[in-house]
Amino acid sequence: MTPNNYDILDTEIRIIGDSIPAPQKPKRRTWLIATIIIGLIASIIVLCLIIIKHSKNRNEVGIFEQTPVHNTNPHPLRAWITSLDSISTIGVVTKDTIVNDIPLQLYVPLNCSPRLEIGYTCIDDTSKNILVFQAADIRADNLEIVGAFVLRGEPLSWGLSKKGYCGIIEDQVTIGVADNSPLFELATEKAGYFFRQYPLVSNGYLVENELKSKSMRRGLCEIDGRIVVVASQTKESLHDFAQALVDIGTSQAIYLVGSAAMGWYRDTQGVGYALGNWEPREFENISFIVWSKP
Amino acid sequence: MRTHLIISTANELLRVAASRIIYISSDGNYSNLLTSGGEIKMVTFQLGQIEEMIHKQLPEVASTFIRIGRSLIVNINHVYQINISRQQLILQDRDSIYTLSASKEALKALKEFIEKSI
Repeated sequence: MTPNNYDILDTEIRIIGDSIPAPQKPKRRTWLIATIIIGLIASIIVLCLIIIKHSKNRNEVGIFEQTPVHNTNPHPLRAWITSLDSISTIGVVTKDTIVNDIPLQLYVPLNCSPRLEIGYTCIDDTSKNILVFQAADIRADNLEIVGAFVLRGEPLSWGLSKKGYCGIIEDQVTIGVADNSPLFELATEKAGYFFRQYPLVSNGYLVENELKSKSMRRGLCEIDGRIVVVASQTKESLHDFAQALVDIGTSQAIYLVGSAAMGWYRDTQGVGYALGNWEPREFENISFIVWSKP
Repeated sequence: MRTHLIISTANELLRVAASRIIYISSDGNYSNLLTSGGEIKMVTFQLGQIEEMIHKQLPEVASTFIRIGRSLIVNINHVYQINISRQQLILQDRDSIYTLSASKEALKALKEFIEKSI
């Protein structure tokens, strides 16, 4: 039988319009298999070269510029944070410190309930609010909230431009880094809150970001299970700021709107302090993370 | 919609309306094409190559052509009678009748196909 007989027998019929095997198919299949095999071999070789190169680089420890390693030693700040009275004291405890030549201020809310708010009303309500910082960013093109956002169980925005997230469910703040977080759905089910920001620290390791400019930075951090807002007192790159957070023992951290973004806190003595610029007030969708008296 | 089958060689081009093709039979490395009116045209292509041409050139009417075994392509619109016991396939074109031979299994399959298409 010639190849043009397409493997049909005298006992068979075939409707030509339904299907017809291409005469070149066996040849194409051979080429396809050969291409796949060559591709697999090339991939294995490249992988081996990368592993060999990586294993060589691991041993090349410089004298003057040592490769950074994950710091497992507890920073002294961690002992201070864990020792704070979380039972009777109400208000924000602050701490100034310098890490890697970066002056940082830590804000630790004690015995407060966290939530998100939209609009400027919360910033003026100093009767109950203890700590207020800007949360999600606003899009420059349409002034909508950047990334997914849930307010008291109501989803107001969707999107994944930033992989860091913060969920507030039943007064419990959870910070993390993920493409999809079940906390978004949980927040909608349990009248909770959710927003997205740039990730800074994930499981104790620095997360690199594309933002390379320097600015006053703020981060929402989890240190030894306690939620702490950390702000730089000088203009820093996101990388240096995140590294400082890692070095003080932050396990999870996401960015908060920095620069001169407005904020407010009340110390444990009841004295209030304004942060950033409070004017002008031009964004309808501005969002804040707020801790208030229970 | 393309309605004509074009068979082209270095020196010749044959253009036949699909509806005028009664059947095409294999003759070794060549094929004989019988058109309406009884004209038989020999083309220098194997039957499988003709089958491929029909498939590519006439996608919308290709399903009216049935490949029967290794040596026959028939236009189903011209099928007049199938006699399995005599292994006869009779095609009709106006006043003319053409009797072809095929295997019982192939004719049985063709009969079932036409019955299903009713």
